[in-house]
Amino acid sequence: MRFTIYITLLLSSFSAFAQEGKKVQFVGGARSLLSHSDFTSKTDVEDTVTARKMTGGYALLDLGFKINPNATTEILGMVRIKNDFGGFWGSGVNFDVRQLYVKGVAANVLRYQIGNIDYKLSPYTFYNHNADMLVQSTASLKIKEDIVNYETFYKNNTWRQQGAAADFALKFPKVIQEMKFNGFITRMNPTNMTNILERFYGGGNITIVQSKYFTIGGNHVSVFDLKQTAASNDAYRNSVSTGTFVSGMEFDKIKFGIDGETGFSNSFSSQDNEGKLSDYFVNAKLNVEAKKLGIKFNLGYMDNGADFRSAGAQSKRVDYNQVNNYYDRYTNAQIVRPLSMYDLYNDPTLYTSSINTGIMAYNPSINNALPYGTATFNRKGIYSTLSYEDKKKIVAVSATYYKLSEIRGQGTLNLKSFDYLKGNLVFDVSNLLKWKLKQIINVGVAYQNTQRESDLLFEQISLKSTTMNVGVELEIVKDLSILGNAFMFSSVGNELLPVRNDKGEIINFNPYFVDGQELNISAGLKFNFSKDVYLACLYEQNKNNFNTLNPYNIKQLMLFYVMKF
Amino acid sequence: MKKIFIISIVGFSLITSCRKEEINKIDGPSLEDLNGAFSVINGLESSKDSVDFAAGETVFFTAEIAKTTPWKLRVVGMTSGAEKIMTGTSKIIDASQTLWNGSTTNLPLFKTEICKVELTFPGLPDTLITDVKVINPKVNEGFLITDFETGFNPGWTSFIQSGADMDFQIKSDVTAPEGNAYYNMAGTVDWDWLVGLINFKATAYSGATVLPLTSNPNNLYFNVMVYGEVGLTNSLVLFQFQEDEDANGTFDSATEDLYSHQITIDWVGWKLVSIKYSDIPCLVNGSPATANGNGQHNSDKINQINMLHLANPVSGFAKSKLDYIIFTENGPLNP
Repeated sequence: MRFTIYITLLLSSFSAFAQEGKKVQFVGGARSLLSHSDFTSKTDVEDTVTARKMTGGYALLDLGFKINPNATTEILGMVRIKNDFGGFWGSGVNFDVRQLYVKGVAANVLRYQIGNIDYKLSPYTFYNHNADMLVQSTASLKIKEDIVNYETFYKNNTWRQQGAAADFALKFPKVIQEMKFNGFITRMNPTNMTNILERFYGGGNITIVQSKYFTIGGNHVSVFDLKQTAASNDAYRNSVSTGTFVSGMEFDKIKFGIDGETGFSNSFSSQDNEGKLSDYFVNAKLNVEAKKLGIKFNLGYMDNGADFRSAGAQSKRVDYNQVNNYYDRYTNAQIVRPLSMYDLYNDPTLYTSSINTGIMAYNPSINNALPYGTATFNRKGIYSTLSYEDKKKIVAVSATYYKLSEIRGQGTLNLKSFDYLKGNLVFDVSNLLKWKLKQIINVGVAYQNTQRESDLLFEQISLKSTTMNVGVELEIVKDLSILGNAFMFSSVGNELLPVRNDKGEIINFNPYFVDGQELNISAGLKFNFSKDVYLACLYEQNKNNFNTLNPYNIKQLMLFYVMKF
Repeated sequence: MKKIFIISIVGFSLITSCRKEEINKIDGPSLEDLNGAFSVINGLESSKDSVDFAAGETVFFTAEIAKTTPWKLRVVGMTSGAEKIMTGTSKIIDASQTLWNGSTTNLPLFKTEICKVELTFPGLPDTLITDVKVINPKVNEGFLITDFETGFNPGWTSFIQSGADMDFQIKSDVTAPEGNAYYNMAGTVDWDWLVGLINFKATAYSGATVLPLTSNPNNLYFNVMVYGEVGLTNSLVLFQFQEDEDANGTFDSATEDLYSHQITIDWVGWKLVSIKYSDIPCLVNGSPATANGNGQHNSDKINQINMLHLANPVSGFAKSKLDYIIFTENGPLNP
């Protein structure tokens, strides 16, 4: 049996820069923000220490030079010039290198990229889950989330890393259609020559497309220390191997499918055999689509072992050990102002771009069901999504429900159960009324309920949280829109938060009690100069009473100018 | 297509049925242990009635309580007043947490004496007590310059100013942090920073012109126990290390290195001061300066150590005490 094998590129984007015919292009973006805020808090004695009003802002330019020395090579170097308002002529001006990479095609076969790479594999191996913004952003909230994502390079669930990546594909005339190969290697940390070894993170996958009805894949990633790069011999390793599959059947009116991922992980230090952790996971779902009705339904099952560890899929975006940069303390006693949803939408410095081998802190009020996204360990149960979109694109609605529980109890044999419902509705009034001016109403809701029943009072847990956002974008004249948002986050109940040692082992539990609400109302105007350039003026009021003794209120007026080129 | 689809569903069903039960397995300490009622199951016991630390023996203490609780184990020398403190959070207290090799947490050092052992639980009234006898205290490895137990070495030299209330002498009493003797340095000198000094010459030990120390300054630690007097913070103790780099038996300050460690005594009571030899700077009038010799810490070429008691002339009466001057290798003294 003879096959003719064709070696192809996975994507055809590389022909793009050759087609442009330009050796050097300028790419990047610019942004300016002016902000004036008014902070008040409720205290027994008037707060005379915290500066109540604050004005600030910045202007920044990300200027990139995209150089194409030949048709198959692209070099990008991007510098950032940022000037905080109040500083001028050198004072308060920062210069940074924001991006640097070389990419190209070797021998018309192998695509590579060296330097900054944005990478992901599968949800359980290497994936940037968004586990803290549970509702879809729209209007003014979307402006802020877009800025956070731009600053942190979060796009399509990729992680921004420094290293190298390569991929290529083989095409076959019979039996299977195509085999795709991807590989990457990144450096997580350098050695300090004494007790910290050089640490790398690497892996890859193979995807075999048998036909449009069946695809399987194999993924492997590993965090590993390079021995003999420091005096210490205690090398850490976290390896995850998974298999993915997509299978389906299609008829005139209906489509069936099943897809999923399963695999296992091993985590250990070379000098701590007793601390070795191994476990596996399964996640698969059955999909049904009534094509003519616009209805999609899926029913899934997940079982993520209690000792399943995947650094690349369980690292959180938000670093909850950080402190606020904005009104970090308040009241006369200068108590710390904890991170709030307001801060998560306003401060990109609270986010991290590094893969973390430890178990990162999380806020149980925001997401207790899946704090590390789909790859959260110690969870099993079913989930289901129902969505509908009409052909005229007037209404798009979806709802996902998770019914989960722990696999292994924390401090007790009694297991926590988690109910998690999230839904989103997009109502396009302009399509309904056939107006040219866009009129969008968006409603997003996320509700979580954690329960643990026990005869012992100190084991009982009950924690309920609701996140809700209603946003409107009403285009009143061409390119000029009114924006409005009402965002509410509330949480009430108790939890016992695990305290972990350096190895990630639980050594104690901290009681967590919460009864509070955060309400953010914002409105403004946005003028689009073009698709990638806009000016927006927003006013918002954020009320937060999670600290019942010292609730606070932030009023803020913001002027954004955002440009991409 | 149909076969593949069915195989996928069957395969998935098989995998999901594989999960082993997590019977009687929990993550972390038991909440019942952490939150249940406190009671003593097994009282405090010592693994030995008496222990000879000088012979390399160790002793440990055991107890068991009903719930995981923070605890503090305190061993107190009934004669010396020395303290060894160990802490932890557990329900079973055993050798892994309480093994004692005779070391001390708070000076003075333990002596041949009866020690009282107390186990307490912060926030709880319960105290468990036992005792253990120290037959011989721990012997610390290292090169001992002096512990003043055998008097003033005739190979040393000293200079004491003729100020007021001068009291430079070896004293013996129960307050000594090691043994029974220490060196007292006190007096008022209103015309000079120097109050008095002792020169510990290498020839006073084995007759050699240099001290028998390792040549690796990164692995050598200088240790001394220093006493701060209540109400007095004007005392400075300066240790000077003279290196005879050309091995001619004498130190030439113009061409050879002199490293100095200055200690400002701003605490009350006895305190162990330790420093790696390679971290000791060259000082001129208290400020870092370039050494006059090869600029390398040649710890195997120290031919004399000068111990100077200094005080600002306008500050009045100054007083400090010193004991147990010793060089150790591989780390600071663990007394």
